[in-house]
Amino acid sequence: MAKIIGGVGTSHVPSIGVALDKGMADTPDWKPFFDGYIPGKEWMKQAKPDIAVVIFNDHGNSFFLDRVPTFAVGVAESYKPVDEGWGPRSIPEFAGASDLSWHFVDKLVEQHFDPLVCREIEVDHGLQVPMELFFGRPDKWPVKVVPIWVNTIQYPIPTPLRCWEMGKVLRDAIESFPGDGRVVIMGTGGLSHQLQGSRAGFINREADEAWLDGIANDYEKYRNMSREDYVEQFGSEGAELIMWLVMRAAMDPKVDLKHKHYYAPASLTGAGMVVLENQT
Amino acid sequence: MSQPTLVLIPGLLCDSFAWHKQAGVFGKDMPIGIADVSAGVSITGMAEDILTRHPGVLWVAGHSMGARIALEMVRLAPERVAKLALIDTGIHPRREGEEIKRQELVDLAYSDGMSALAARWLPPMVHEAHHGDEVLMDGLTEMVLRASPEQHERQIEALLSRPDAAAYLGTVTCPVLLVVGRYDKWSPVAQHEDMLALLPDARLVIIEDAGHFAPLEQPEAVTAAMRMWMAGWQKEDKMTDTSEDGKQALPETPLFDREANFRGYRMNKMAMDLGRAENREAFKADEDAYLDRYGLSDEERAAVKARDWHEMVRLGGNLFFILKISAIDPTPMTRIAAAQAGMDHDAFLAQRLGKV
Repeated sequence: MAKIIGGVGTSHVPSIGVALDKGMADTPDWKPFFDGYIPGKEWMKQAKPDIAVVIFNDHGNSFFLDRVPTFAVGVAESYKPVDEGWGPRSIPEFAGASDLSWHFVDKLVEQHFDPLVCREIEVDHGLQVPMELFFGRPDKWPVKVVPIWVNTIQYPIPTPLRCWEMGKVLRDAIESFPGDGRVVIMGTGGLSHQLQGSRAGFINREADEAWLDGIANDYEKYRNMSREDYVEQFGSEGAELIMWLVMRAAMDPKVDLKHKHYYAPASLTGAGMVVLENQT
Repeated sequence: MSQPTLVLIPGLLCDSFAWHKQAGVFGKDMPIGIADVSAGVSITGMAEDILTRHPGVLWVAGHSMGARIALEMVRLAPERVAKLALIDTGIHPRREGEEIKRQELVDLAYSDGMSALAARWLPPMVHEAHHGDEVLMDGLTEMVLRASPEQHERQIEALLSRPDAAAYLGTVTCPVLLVVGRYDKWSPVAQHEDMLALLPDARLVIIEDAGHFAPLEQPEAVTAAMRMWMAGWQKEDKMTDTSEDGKQALPETPLFDREANFRGYRMNKMAMDLGRAENREAFKADEDAYLDRYGLSDEERAAVKARDWHEMVRLGGNLFFILKISAIDPTPMTRIAAAQAGMDHDAFLAQRLGKV
């Protein structure tokens, strides 16, 4: 069976990618942000995963409002970076772990989830940026990916509890997957931010810090919170944090918080990460 | 507790017609009364009269002047009013010169009759988009014709000597629903935001595509907001349920719901397609021709061409889509967000993002 070597929660702010593209990573605005990821990158290097499951949302790039999947799973052999309006970014394509993807889809449907299954699709910054933050800018990514899209734009978005339940299925799928693959799970999005309405620019540092502390071993309150609570505490776009719950649910009930980093604002967003490991 | 009665209070020159849409819905579920304010000569007197006529616990909803009466009822008998809804109204005391403008209309009614008053008074009260709605406009005109110049004069007198509601708004502890039509020029959105700030437990719902007569111009949206108010909300829960009625109580936080999807579809589709290089070229070469492909309304087209980010979102644009316009015509994200917040860019950076 494949092994979950750890869980990562991270922001996927598009400006992070832009900062890297424009060589701004060492400027005063960005250096403290990127420096905080060094221990995470180092951890990833040591952990040597060969598959990354990335839970993220599309931002109006691969899906339009004509068809909005609540959950979608990529089963492709590879995923190109999508053109978000500025032209596709010059980063390598992402090879797909299509066998694990199909296996996960089987498990989802057996356990009464009904995902959209994507055979041909491109990926936006929601997947790109977390990969860059933890794997840098290699010529070829050291892992294959399983992309999982969660709708966090068109209401009704899924409930936090539903995201949690999907994480349980993810764990089951990984642990019943033949072979000795090493899998890292990356829950992405957030932290607090709001882009629209007169509350735009809303950042809640206190709630962000509490989240980064609590998601490891005090997660129950976050699992049980309503979507409205997320919007209230983290802003309308900060509700993306529900995607970290997929990752967290796939881990053991008790985990070690190996690394943590917070920086605000990255562009308009409270940004940061955690690295979690199961104890056994 | 005995079952509450829902009391609906019409405003100046209005009668039960002003509330007939909501009365038709809520009358099936609970006892209701529509107040008659045609004979009153003061806000306080009208409030006392309604309290006498409707015993027991009341849920009070007032429109325009009716909302001022509703507030006065709370001041007189806070124990009787369990819930309060204030619609298209204000709390400011008499303004400088207000009596002169009002007197002109009083005189007009006496000299030229109620139909002349209706023709002058009604159109600015209704969102332009509804001026062609004959059922609505005729209904409003007939309502005004049912009133007399004497009633008008009495009510104007009552309004001009109205109490200063701002003084006690902070002491109103019951749940208060504030509703305003986006295009209410008479009692604009800002007045309701001021009330929201003063009230301890209030929610504000802005009704799109409506003017001062929101309960008649967008009856379903107002009914939905009232239903949410009647069902009750948690004190700490600032959001409403967006699943049922698609309305939100936190105006500063628009969630992209069914209504927004419908409203903004064309504009978002136009922007989505800018994810393709050939469309970006077409946009750059001839913006009008590109926009023509998507059948935008005049309003939407004007907002896009002006790069009015706030207006685009108001019309249903979602930033994730319309952001692609900023890829062609570069605009920093912080400027777009500052426009959303209605703030100057530097003030936005300082106050929201803590940047000096």
